Amino acid sequence: MIIEAGSLHKRYGDVVAVDSLDLEVEPGMCYGLVGPNGAGKTTTMKMIYCIVEPTSGSLEVFGLDVRAHPREIKARLGVVPQENNLDPDLSTCQNLRVYARYFGIPKDIAAARCHELLEFMHLGDRADAPVPSLSGGMKRRLILARALMNEPDLIILDEPTTGLDPQVRHLIWDRLLELKERGITLLLTTHYMDEAQKLCDKVLIMDEARSIDVGSPAELIRGHMLPYVLELRVDRKLTAEVLERFRHLEHQASGQNLYFYGNTTSEFDDLTGAYPDIERLLRPASLEDVFLKLTGREIRQ
Amino acid sequence: MSEGILTVRRSFLKVWLRNAQVFFALWKFNFWPALAEPVLFIFVMGLGIGSYITEIEGVPYLEFVAAGILGSAAIMQATFECTYGSFFRMRIQNTFEGIISTPISADEVGLAEIIWGATRGLVNSTLVFIILLLMGIFHRWQVVFLPPLMFLAAFNFAAIALLVSSRIAQMEYFRFYFAGFVLPAQFICGTFFPVSRFPEAVQIFAWAIPFTSYIDISRSLMLGTPAKAPVLELFYALGTTLVFTELAVRSMHRRLVR
Repeated sequence: MIIEAGSLHKRYGDVVAVDSLDLEVEPGMCYGLVGPNGAGKTTTMKMIYCIVEPTSGSLEVFGLDVRAHPREIKARLGVVPQENNLDPDLSTCQNLRVYARYFGIPKDIAAARCHELLEFMHLGDRADAPVPSLSGGMKRRLILARALMNEPDLIILDEPTTGLDPQVRHLIWDRLLELKERGITLLLTTHYMDEAQKLCDKVLIMDEARSIDVGSPAELIRGHMLPYVLELRVDRKLTAEVLERFRHLEHQASGQNLYFYGNTTSEFDDLTGAYPDIERLLRPASLEDVFLKLTGREIRQ
Repeated sequence: MSEGILTVRRSFLKVWLRNAQVFFALWKFNFWPALAEPVLFIFVMGLGIGSYITEIEGVPYLEFVAAGILGSAAIMQATFECTYGSFFRMRIQNTFEGIISTPISADEVGLAEIIWGATRGLVNSTLVFIILLLMGIFHRWQVVFLPPLMFLAAFNFAAIALLVSSRIAQMEYFRFYFAGFVLPAQFICGTFFPVSRFPEAVQIFAWAIPFTSYIDISRSLMLGTPAKAPVLELFYALGTTLVFTELAVRSMHRRLVR
C-alpha cells in the first residue's frame, strides 16, 4: 500500500474534521477524494503530507508512520496545495530551483529538471517570467511542475483544476494520466465529478468528516443509481402533476428540475409521450448523480 | 512529532537562502530605506541635539549616543523582519506551508526566520558601524567586537518577534507589540541617555529588557568606560536569546503543524 489509514481521527477542539476514516491507496492508482466543502478532504490530505498531526488512529505512507517519519515521507511526495503558495518575488524557474534545494537536489540536476518540467507543463518560454505576470492557469501548471521536481512516488493534488479554463484542465488531465502511466500514484480532491470519473480508479466520497462510500466510479454508479437518468426542466405549475403521475418511477426533485431514474430508456417512454414539449435530457447516470444522492442537494458551508 | 531547536537539521540554511534570494531580488527596496532611520538618528541626535548637549558622562554626545544608534539599527531591523516579514510569509503568501511540505521541518523554518532576522540586523548595523567609523568617532580597537555583539542583539530580538508572530491571529496585533515593547526598548534602554537617570522602578524595567545590556556592553567597548556588570549582562543576553529562540521555534511548530 502507498497510503494506509485505519480509523483515522482529527479533532480541532470540539470540531471533528476527520472521523474514523479508513483508506487504502494502492501503488500506481489515481485515488479521488470527493465531498462537499468542509467534509474533511483537505485535512485528510494534510495528514498524509505530514503538516497536520492525526488525533488518533493509524496512518502510514510508503509503509512509514506519519508521526515518526515525516521527513522520509515528504522526500518522496509532490504536493499541489489548494491555495497558490508560489514565491511572487522569484521567477518561474527560481521557484522550482528553490524547491529543488529543499529536497537536496544537486544544482545541475535541478537546472536540467527545471527546463524539462517547464516544457512538460507548456511553460518553456516562461522560465524567466516573474510569477505575478503569469495567468491563473500558468500558476497552477507551475505548481504542478514544482511538485514534480523531486520525482515523487506519490503526488497529492488538492483541487488541481479549480477555476481553470477547459484548455488548461485538459492539459492537466493529460499530464496526470501520463504520470499515472509512469507508475506514479495520485491522490486528488476535486469538486468536478466529471474529473473524478475521468481520472480516478477509485473514489472515496466524504461527508461531514466521514467516508460514506468508496469504489471505482463505475461501481459507485452501479451501486447507487439506476443506469439511466431523464432530466426534466418543468414549469413550476406542472411539477406536482408530473411527479404525481409518474411517482412509480424512481425520482428526485430539485426546484424546477426533476430527475427520473430507470433501468432502460424505454421506461421513460410514457413520460416523454405525455409531456412531449418539456425540455429534457436523457443520459447515463454519472458520478455527480451518486454524489448528490449521497450528500444531498442542500447547500453546505 | 518532536519539536524544538535540538530537532533542527542543517537544512534550515536552505530556508535562510530562500530569504536571502528574495532579498537580493528586491534589494533596492530593502536595503536603503532600512538605513534611513539610523542615518537620521546620527544627524538628529548626534549632530543636532549633540550640538547643544556637547558632553554627557564626560564624552562628546555623538560618541555616547553611537552605541544606542548602532543597537537600534540591529534590533529594529531584526524586529521588522520577524514581525511583518515573517507574518507576511507565513499567513499571506503561505510560503511556510509550502516549505514544510518538503523534507524541511517547521522548527527549521522557525530557526531560519530568526537567523535571517539576525542577519538583516547585522547587515544594517554593520553599515551604521562603517558610517560611524568613517566619521572618526571610534578610538579603541575593541570596537571590532561590536558587529558580533550586534548580531547577538538582533538574534535576541528576532526570536522575541517571531514568538509574537507565531501567536497572533492578525497583523494588527503588532501595533501593541511595537507600542508596548519595541518602542520603549528603543528609548529607555540607555539609547540616548544613561538608564540611571530614571527612577528605580523604570530602571528595573529597563534592565529586564536585554537591549539595556547590549548597549551597556557596546558603550563600554567604544568608550573604555566600565560596564555595570559585563559578565552577568552577557549571560543575560545569551540566556534570553536561547530561551526565546527555543520558545519561538516550538511555537512556530505548533502554528504550522496543527
